[in-house]
Amino acid sequence: MKVTIAKRILKDNDAIAEKNREIFKNADLLAVNFISSPGSGKTTLLEKTISALLPEQKTTVIVGDLQTTRDADRLESNALDVVQINTGMSCHLYANQVTESLSGLNVNEADYLFIENVGNMVCPGEFDLGENIKVVLLSIPEGDDKVAKYPTVFRAADIVLLTKVDLLGVLNFDIDHVVSDIRKLNSKVEIVHVSSLNGEGMSQWVSWLKSKRQESVGKKAKFIADV
Amino acid sequence: MHEMSIAVGLMEQVFDVAEKNNLKEIEEIEIEAGFLRQIVPEVMQQAFLAVRQDTIARNATLKIIEVAPLSECNICKKQFQPSLNDFLCPTCRKADVKVLKGDEIILKSIQGKESK
Repeated sequence: MKVTIAKRILKDNDAIAEKNREIFKNADLLAVNFISSPGSGKTTLLEKTISALLPEQKTTVIVGDLQTTRDADRLESNALDVVQINTGMSCHLYANQVTESLSGLNVNEADYLFIENVGNMVCPGEFDLGENIKVVLLSIPEGDDKVAKYPTVFRAADIVLLTKVDLLGVLNFDIDHVVSDIRKLNSKVEIVHVSSLNGEGMSQWVSWLKSKRQESVGKKAKFIADV
Repeated sequence: MHEMSIAVGLMEQVFDVAEKNNLKEIEEIEIEAGFLRQIVPEVMQQAFLAVRQDTIARNATLKIIEVAPLSECNICKKQFQPSLNDFLCPTCRKADVKVLKGDEIILKSIQGKESK
């Protein structure tokens, strides 16, 4: 017997993500999925961003890592609350892990939910968590060939943060080449140069985030799997 | 590496369909994999071998049909074939597109034996 189906393979995850998005909308919360490779500076950027949004706007955080609670420990002082998910051998977060974390977070009091995904440039882009926007980080030490190597995640990004730009004079990194590679994938994506060390670009990034808080609550982030 | 996550998602769908259709043994699973998803067939087959173990699909084969990419420019509506790294419309020279084909991973069909 042959059964013809034609269903998206990740539809179970997508259905849970849709419910998460409804919860965020009802809580008037902007959910932001942060994606990058390990060591690009996600946690430091989050620390600085959460502080910059205070005292007017409060942030709650979900952190995904294979192991340890180090990132959660670092973020705890300024965030409203933090839940650390240890994914074990899984290289990305699933929507149901976000749902389970919500019981430990005060979503109604927060203005933002930051989801720090597991450091990985491939799988996190494929799994909808219910977020409203996707932020992709690329740090200068990673090299200027990474957009061409991992194009898919950049195609789905709402903003690309080029991080650790304080190292631009030290390392050989062709920033124009990177911007051109990004523009071939996504003409509309915002590109901001930031340094968590010297503060460069932070006000531009935080203003962008605040503008998204106004316009994107409840919206579905761009997904590569929407076909 | 993402092939394993996809294989796990695939098997959830397969078992669901098998149960609804009263299949006791699965012989073949057919999926469509969009070119833009960068699924490596050999890696996908290895992941499939791992997830089919000790299940009603333990003897099943996996057929992967690759789907060529097709996008449509949001500005001039021209349809064209993008590459992994280049979504620029040949007319407008902007990458502002809707992907019509090539981003999908779809379970197409399952062949199996019914329970008596």
